[in-house]
Amino acid sequence: MSADEPVIETQGLVKMFGKFKALDGLDLSVAKGEVHGFLGPNGAGKSTTIRVLLGLLKANGGTARLLGGDPWSDVVELHKRLAYVPGDVALWPSMSGGEAIDLLGSLRGGLDDARRAELVERFELDPTKRGRQYSKGNRQKVAIVAALASNVELLILDEPTSGLDPLMENVFQEVLGEAKDRGTTVLLSSHILSEVETLADRLSIIRAGKIVETGTLASMRGKARTTVHATMTRIPVATDLAGLHDVQLDGNKLAATVDANGIGDAMALLTPYGLEALTVAPPSLESLFLRLYENDADAVGTR
Amino acid sequence: MSAPVVGAPLLLRTSIKHEARSFAPWIAIATVLSASSVLVYPWVFPTEADREGLATLVGSNPALGLIFGPAFDVSTADGFNAWRTLALGGLLTALGAIFVVTKATRGQEDSGQAELLASGVLGRSSRLLTAVAMGLIMSIIVGIVAAVVTLLCGGGTEATLLLCATYTATGWMGTGFAAVTSQLGAEARASSSMAVGVMGVLFILRGFTYSVEAADWALWINPLAWMTETKPAVENNWWPLWLAVALTLVLLVVAFALQARRDFGQGAIAPAPGPARGRARTPLALALKLNRGTLIVWATGFAVLGVVFGYFTTAITDLLAGDSGIGQVLASGAQSPADVFGAFVATVVNLIGIFASIACVQIILRVRKEEMDDRVEPLIATPTSRARYYASNVVVAMGAAVAFLVIAGVIVAGFASSADIGVTYGQAFGQALATIPAVWTVIAVAVAVVGARPKVSIAAWAGVLLSFGLTLLGPTFGLDDWVLAISPFYHVPAVATSTVEWAGLGVVFLVGAALVTVGFAGFRRRDLATT
Repeated sequence: MSADEPVIETQGLVKMFGKFKALDGLDLSVAKGEVHGFLGPNGAGKSTTIRVLLGLLKANGGTARLLGGDPWSDVVELHKRLAYVPGDVALWPSMSGGEAIDLLGSLRGGLDDARRAELVERFELDPTKRGRQYSKGNRQKVAIVAALASNVELLILDEPTSGLDPLMENVFQEVLGEAKDRGTTVLLSSHILSEVETLADRLSIIRAGKIVETGTLASMRGKARTTVHATMTRIPVATDLAGLHDVQLDGNKLAATVDANGIGDAMALLTPYGLEALTVAPPSLESLFLRLYENDADAVGTR
Repeated sequence: MSAPVVGAPLLLRTSIKHEARSFAPWIAIATVLSASSVLVYPWVFPTEADREGLATLVGSNPALGLIFGPAFDVSTADGFNAWRTLALGGLLTALGAIFVVTKATRGQEDSGQAELLASGVLGRSSRLLTAVAMGLIMSIIVGIVAAVVTLLCGGGTEATLLLCATYTATGWMGTGFAAVTSQLGAEARASSSMAVGVMGVLFILRGFTYSVEAADWALWINPLAWMTETKPAVENNWWPLWLAVALTLVLLVVAFALQARRDFGQGAIAPAPGPARGRARTPLALALKLNRGTLIVWATGFAVLGVVFGYFTTAITDLLAGDSGIGQVLASGAQSPADVFGAFVATVVNLIGIFASIACVQIILRVRKEEMDDRVEPLIATPTSRARYYASNVVVAMGAAVAFLVIAGVIVAGFASSADIGVTYGQAFGQALATIPAVWTVIAVAVAVVGARPKVSIAAWAGVLLSFGLTLLGPTFGLDDWVLAISPFYHVPAVATSTVEWAGLGVVFLVGAALVTVGFAGFRRRDLATT
């Protein structure tokens, strides 16, 4: 594998479950050393993609390359170089969390004992509890510790923080940041946008088994619109506001969106009406996400 | 309605609607068992001479009594039916009831379903009451369906009704045991294993006490022997059924009392903290660890079985004193004593082999359970190949078969060699070793099913079912040799007889190897179950 070859690359990936098309020509590319956010709502195909990449499911069409190998046939070699955290961690009911961490770590070729101890400490995990006694968040911690305590090139994380409390989410962000500093490539699937927003270098957004948007956060923000809320002394005439989008006028209160490069024009337009209060919110991933899925709802409606 | 059982009727209606399908196999098996004996009897044994021949056959192989209990009278279709199905039909109904009750109590608690239910408007005892009601109702349905179909097939009225009532009564006792063990175990599996263990021990003891003609008290302390004492088609005693009803009530009272004291999701026995570091670091170590409890229990069971069956071989010479079938065979000079005893030891060891295959098929089926519970996925996501993961479990199952047969074989051989029946220690122990390939092949059926066609994982039991049916029931049905030869146990040579044929066993081994190959090829190629 050469240095500039993507760590993950799929082209036209198709996976059928009976007649249901879970993946419908998915093109995903993750470069070496980046944290790649993999966003989509429930049922969009995130876990299916990850399971194909892990060789748990066999794709019905398209190609997938992982760390320069074939995820289905080179499964053992590839798995030596990656670690995985499932979204819903099932532990062995009568095995303690510590035993599960050591088992998974050993199968992966051993773990870093010092880092294991440090992670157990930072995540405040009690490793002596039995599998069935853990809450959902604590089961998740077991899998996270097991994955991050081994030295791997690639981390595949499927909604890793589901069930974690906000404090532990912060710990997770720190720990993942450290992994990134070590040069680990990360595929981070999530529907929590803020998590991806702080960590990810690039993002792909999946909808109905297809990648609908991919790029850096900055480039996506460029496509999203800035939100403007303004209170004015004079009520503007609606026809004067043609340069703005999504205009909602309630007396002298205005809510609207403007293109990323149109903020100056919008200010010039609004100032004559006498601004009393003004907030300009930068385009969040949230708004981009909602936008993409509003279109989706329209598409469903017209289908 | 009193507070503890609020919501029970609604919950019961919904549960029956959703679980009724799981009743079907148990109803079907009991019905087929009973109806088939009545149908087949006049056809296979048309004349008086045939029926006497059957009595001789049954009498000459006392090992059969260990499973079926005593044959009071096999000269009528109803008597034959009572001998052939009373023990098994009851046991199967009880097993069905145990699984239904455990699933509706601890199974739901483990899966989290019960939490949703318990947070609704539902009394504290409603779930247990619902589970118990399902067990009782399923047992009644088994009795009614089996009775109606058997009567339609020509069974005698009173004998058939009584026989099928014993299925129901045994199912009720199973419900009672399961209701109690559901309060004790740490999880569903432990709870059902405890109840199944109790039924298994009682079942073997019943066969044993009857076969060695033990004292009466030994019968009356065994609830399953009460059922045999109804003697359908011979004496038609109805009153022992009341004992079963009384025992069921007592068990249920105990269960509800225990249930009131335990915490949701916990058994009476609280789990201790586990180790902070793990020692199981390979798939094989994991498979051993997960199956450790089951393996220890079964191994102990096989030691007990060895004692019971071994002691039985020493008692056989006493049985000859009576006018038993085996005495007639010997007196007629048709077979030498060595052949008769050698065949007898082979049958006993075959039985042990069939039991061992039940235990080992469970180990293979556990792979599917682990897969469905998403616990295989994280393992396969490590550099563990699918073949290695599956092989670890198969090795544990195959190794367990060897261990079980060696444990039981050592003990049986000890008894048999001291019994003055002309069988040496080496021959009896060799018999146990010779049975291993047949057990392996039965396990291989499960390996193929779970590996290649896991959606029909119930088919993993096909090998056990065929072996059991053909090896034990086949001869009494006068089936042709080629049909009997489908059972791998047919090919196990009787080591202590004059005619020892090993070629068949080689074929059995090859079939087993082919099935294992199919299983591994399938496991490597298919999608893992996802939720």
